[in-house]
Parts: sequence; C-alpha cells; structure tokens
Amino acid sequence: MASTSKDAERKLLTRREFLGISGTAAAGIAVATAVAGGVIGYFAGQTSAPAAGPAKTFTKTITAAGPTKTITAARGLKAGYIYVGPVGDYGWTHAHDEGRKWADSHVPGWKSTYVESVPEAEASGAIESLISQGAELVITTSFGYMDATADAAAKHPDKYFVHISGYKSGAAGNATQNMSAAFAEFYQLYYLCGLAAGAVTKTGIMGYVAAYPTPEVIRHINAFALGANYSYRKRTGKDIKAYVVWLFSWFNPGKTRQAAMSLVEERNADVLAFTEDSPTTLEVAEEYTTKKGRKVWSFSHYSDMRKYGPHAHLTGQIVNWGPIYRDFYRMVETDSWETVDIWGRIGDFVPYRWRKPEDKSTCCKPEGVVYPAPVNSVVPSEWTTLIKQRYEDMKELIFEPFSLEGNLGEPIRDQDGKVRIDGKIVPRADHDMLWSMNWFVDYVKSPIPK
Amino acid sequence: MGAEVVAVGVEWLGAFLSSTVQAGTVLLLAALGETYAERSGILNLGVEGMMIVGAAFSYLITLATGNDLLAILVAMGMATLLALIHAVISISFRLNQIVSGLAITLFGLGLSGYLTFPDVRVGILRAINPSLPMSMAYRQSTPKLPDISIPLLSQIPVIGPAFFRQNAIIYASYVLTVLLWWFLFKTRPGLNIRSVGENPAMADSLGINVYLIRYVATLLGGALAGLAGAFLFIGYQPFWVEGMTAGRGFVALALVIFAAWSPLRVMAGAYLFGGVEALQFRLQVLGYGTTAPQFLLMLPYVTTIIVLVALSYEMIRKKIGVPAALAIPYAREE
Repeated sequence: MASTSKDAERKLLTRREFLGISGTAAAGIAVATAVAGGVIGYFAGQTSAPAAGPAKTFTKTITAAGPTKTITAARGLKAGYIYVGPVGDYGWTHAHDEGRKWADSHVPGWKSTYVESVPEAEASGAIESLISQGAELVITTSFGYMDATADAAAKHPDKYFVHISGYKSGAAGNATQNMSAAFAEFYQLYYLCGLAAGAVTKTGIMGYVAAYPTPEVIRHINAFALGANYSYRKRTGKDIKAYVVWLFSWFNPGKTRQAAMSLVEERNADVLAFTEDSPTTLEVAEEYTTKKGRKVWSFSHYSDMRKYGPHAHLTGQIVNWGPIYRDFYRMVETDSWETVDIWGRIGDFVPYRWRKPEDKSTCCKPEGVVYPAPVNSVVPSEWTTLIKQRYEDMKELIFEPFSLEGNLGEPIRDQDGKVRIDGKIVPRADHDMLWSMNWFVDYVKSPIPK
Repeated sequence: MGAEVVAVGVEWLGAFLSSTVQAGTVLLLAALGETYAERSGILNLGVEGMMIVGAAFSYLITLATGNDLLAILVAMGMATLLALIHAVISISFRLNQIVSGLAITLFGLGLSGYLTFPDVRVGILRAINPSLPMSMAYRQSTPKLPDISIPLLSQIPVIGPAFFRQNAIIYASYVLTVLLWWFLFKTRPGLNIRSVGENPAMADSLGINVYLIRYVATLLGGALAGLAGAFLFIGYQPFWVEGMTAGRGFVALALVIFAAWSPLRVMAGAYLFGGVEALQFRLQVLGYGTTAPQFLLMLPYVTTIIVLVALSYEMIRKKIGVPAALAIPYAREE
C-alpha cells in the first residue's frame, strides 16, 4: 500500500512538475502566513509583546538620559505599574489596576501607565521602559519582580520604587533607600469569614480550595479555621473539621471547580473558602444551592463577587490598593519620601484608628485597604455583632485572631498537638510567626504537602 | 500527619462518574471528529487550535447574546473554517499535514487570546450587541448550560446521576457516538471513508471521490472540535481563561490512537481519561496521596504518555490497525 502512494508521488513529479512546484509554493506561502499569523496572534494574545518589545529598545535611551532630580514639579508626575497578569482577569491584577485608578483619581496631577502580563524574566526591561517614558515612581506587583525592582532601584537613585508582596526595601535594610515594600494582609478578614461560616454551617465541615502551601495561604487557612471553630463551638459545643485541597496554581478555574465539588461531595463541606483568583468556588457553591438542592456557602475574594453567587455569598475579603498607592504618590510629590515596609491590615489607611461601638461600626463598608464584603443576612445577629466588634477591635490591634481570645480562651495547638500559642510565653502571633507559618491548627484535618 | 481517609459509597460513585462523563465529553467530541479525519487519511494536529477557537467564540456569543445554541453553531462554524485551511493545505496542496496542523494550533491559540483580550473583546461584543452594558462586557463567566434530568432513567442508582442528569450537549454526544460508529462501519459511505484512508488509489479507481471524502471528513473533524470547545466553555467550565483547553486537543489525538479509530472505543477511552481528570482532586480530598498532591495532578498527562509510549512499538501499531494512508497526501494518477 505504501508503494502505491510512492508511485503516485513519482508520477506527480514527472508529469506535473510545474503544477507541483507552483502548488507547493502557494501552499508554502499559506503555511508561512498561518505560522506568522499564529505567532503574531499568539503574542498579541499573550500580551507579553507590549512588555517585551518596547522594553528592550528603550533600555539604552534611559541610561543616556542621565540622573537629574526633577521631582519638585507638583504637576504632571507619572507613575508606572507592572502587572503579572492581564488587567481584565478577575483577581490579583484586576485589583491592582482598580487601585491604580483609585489613586490616580485621588491625587490630582498624577498620571499612570501600566504594562501587563509581564513575565518575571522581563521585569527589568519593563521597568526601564516605564522610566524612559518618564515614570518617577515604579510599582511592581508580583513577588517574582522583587530582585529586578531592587536592582533598578540601585541603578536609578533619582527614581522611586515600590514592590508588592516581597521583603526587600530600604526600610528592611536589604535594598536602597528609594525602594519600599507593601502588602495587603487578609488573615484577619479570613478569621471574620470563619466566624460567619461557623455561624451558618449545618455539617460543621469546612472546605478550603488553596493555591500553594505558602506561609501566606497557610495563615489564611488557619485564621479561617480558628474563626469557624469559635462560632461553631459556641453554637453546638463541637469542633469544626476543615479540609484543604491544593491546586498548585494561583489561577485555574477548571481545577478549582473539580476541587470545590470534591470537598462538597466527599467531605460534606457546606462552606467553601478559597485562595484562588477566580470566582469559581463561589459559582460552584451557587450551583449546589440553586440547582442541586444542597445549601453551600462561599465568599468574595479581592473584589465584591456577589453577582457570581447571589444565593451562596456569605461575606468575603476585599482589597483596595488605592490608599497605599495614594500615599506613595503624595510622598514623591512633596519630596518627603521615606522608605517603608507596609503591611496593610484592618485599621491601616483609615482616617482614624479609634474603634467604634458595634452599632456605629463601619464594618463591611469600603474602608482602608482591606475590609470584609457585606455579611449575608442569614448570619444570626449575635454573630454579625461579634464580627463588627472584632473588626473594630482589630483596627486598634486590641484583638488578634492568633491568640487565646481568638480560640475560645484555649491555647492554639498544631496538628501534632503541640501548643504554638500558649497565652503566656507566646501571647499572640507576631509578624515573624505569621510570615513563616508552616503548621496547621488542629481543626484542619488535611496535611501540608511537603 | 496523614489525613483521615473516608470510605466511599454509592452516592460518591454516582457523583464521581458524573464528573467523569463531563470531563470525558470534551475529549470524546474532539476525538470523534478526529477519528473520521484520520480514517480518511488526514492527520489533524490542529484539533487543539480548533477547540480553543470554538471555546472563545462560544464565550463571546453567549456573553453578547445569551443564546447558547447560536454560540454552539458559531463555535462549530469557526472551527470548521480552520479545518478548511488544513484541508486545502493537506488535501489540495498535498503539503505536510503535521506542519499544517501545528501551525493551525498556534494560530488558534493566538487568535482566541487576541479576540478575548479585554479591549478587543469589548469592541466585538458591542458590535454584536450594541445595547450590552459595559459591566457585562468585562465578565469572564456566563451561566452554565442547565442539566436536564431524564425521567425514570435518572432515578437508577449510580447510572442515573452519572449519565442521565447531564446537559444537552452530553446527551447529543451519546447519540453522536453511536451514529458515527454506525455510519462508519455499517454503511456504504462509511466503507468509502475507510477505504480512502487505507488505499486511496484503489478507492479512486473504484469511482470514489477521494478528495471530496477527505474534505468532508476533515471539515467534520473541525466542526466537532469546535463543538468540543463550545462544550468546554458553556457546559463544563463557563469561565473564560486564555488557553483553557490546556492541551486537551492533544490528549484527544492520543485518545484516537488509543481507541484504534473506532467511535465506540473512543467513548470508552474518553471516559477513562475523564475519570483520571476527575479523580485527581477527589483522591486528594479522600485523603490519599495528600503529602504529595502534585503527583495526583500529574495523572492525566502520565496516562497520555504511557499510551503514546505503548503505541510507539511497531507491533502494537500493527495490531490495532493504523489507517495505511494516514498522513500521506494523495495525488491522482492521470
């Protein structure tokens, strides 16, 4: 059979040489066009092209520009942002872009530009590109940009740099004085979400769809479990059980759907918390609630996601990066820069920190950099009152989730039964314990992957 | 500490099989089309690209109009257009089918990314539906295709929830599988398709239009890849993510070989692969392999590699009957 086709080929070459060659050429052009179109389209789609392209061409221009300090002009200052994802994606980058717009509209005279979907390896090129376009302040919004940002800060002493979610800054002593670090912290909000979860759960089983086993995600899970256990034990006298599924991805709606369904169907979880950048977990909860006759609750993450699960939305954690950026704008504008390492929690970036009484609480309204989403009215009023009270207390750091008070007066134990917070030697978790947390509280029944 | 392991029951099995069928249907639809293309002698490595274009268009159309049927038809139409490019290149121009297919996959991934890029997307959505509010244009998700319970059948334990509480595309896939199997093996035109893939010269001498059959089979493959993409978005994961096919087109290609070019075996294979996909998180939640969940996440790809390695042995290939003229261009003798 193979010989038949070979014959066919031979005949083609002898008899129809001309046609064959011209046909091949035409097809070759077609394939080349398709490939070129594919490559162009692919990069246009990936959106890394705008980052990579201009970044490289401008590198030399900027070094020739020379260092002259011209930040006294109050008007026409420029900020440049570097994003790890596309701005249209729900989640991390979307939240930063909202913050950028917020800051622009709150400090007149500032204009900002951004480069999105910048691969970590391209970060320094993107930073140079923004500086060559006249950016006085460069804000890089992914952990992976940390070293590139520190290098650029050392190279451009007359510009200002802010890196999000890292640990290098002039304030920390491991970068130059023109670099600051900032982060918006969610663990307090996860504790409040836990209080709401424990107040409504019927099964006493919590599911958690988690991205990666990093200290940040682990403290979120622990805070959520502590909160849920607090209200559930007060209600029923029993402890909750929390189960965790790891996605090994920050953003993957397909995997998230499977993971969330597994938690409901196999562990009978009726509240699903998550650290993943899409509203998928909330959508899955909504599907169970409205279509499968099984009440499942979930939350907002980063922004108000109520429209994705109107019947399943309990509360959630919301971030507004705007005030952080606004303050950096002002520092640059007034030439009063000071290197800082910001850890934005409840009570930071609000007009005043004083706690308010529960009936006047500003809980669940846009305030500061992190605040809870509106609490669903199914949560009994005694628990919404407690949520408000603890929210107000946390403004002044009077209350801390990782303390005996956060755990019904009992010491906080890890899964091996070891006491981690005893209320005496370790009265409450401090910054270092939270930032290096690698253990689960005993209410979490899944292990941490090694 | 190892997580406590839970025992599974009948209810678990039903839910697990239901996820299996859903994950498997994406592969099933794409692989059914590819079976026909390969049976006629055309290897189409562009399945991945056609799928993602189908998914992208189903996203744009449902978002703009809310009409699922229209979205499915447009998705199938666009994927068929891509298949037409592949058909012209590989059938009329007789060029290398592997290069053409891969080019189409790259093109499809790029095109889908470009069309759904927020600024471009808003322009397209506004063009289709000028009255669409901006807040809708920025959405990445749409309502999922509703599940329909078949009376009586859906009440059978395990089988009911697994197969008869699904959405319309899944029901269509059952019918399509049987229909395409029957057509390929039990009818005269089906025999023609198979003979064109085995020995085009002989088929031609018997008066069968080789080019026409190969064109139709390739276009059918494209349309079904588009349907697979539409199902992936509307019926399985109604949240648009760039590159959401995540290599499923290539898994479908491996599946066609695995199933030895028979629609019925394709169905069995698709559910096997779907089961592996559905199992990865269920095992984690059940408490198996929780200290290294990365291993479970690897399962679908490991299965694909094992299948492909097995098929690299000549003996196994012969045994399962690769269409003899697969990927060999046909030029008519005059």
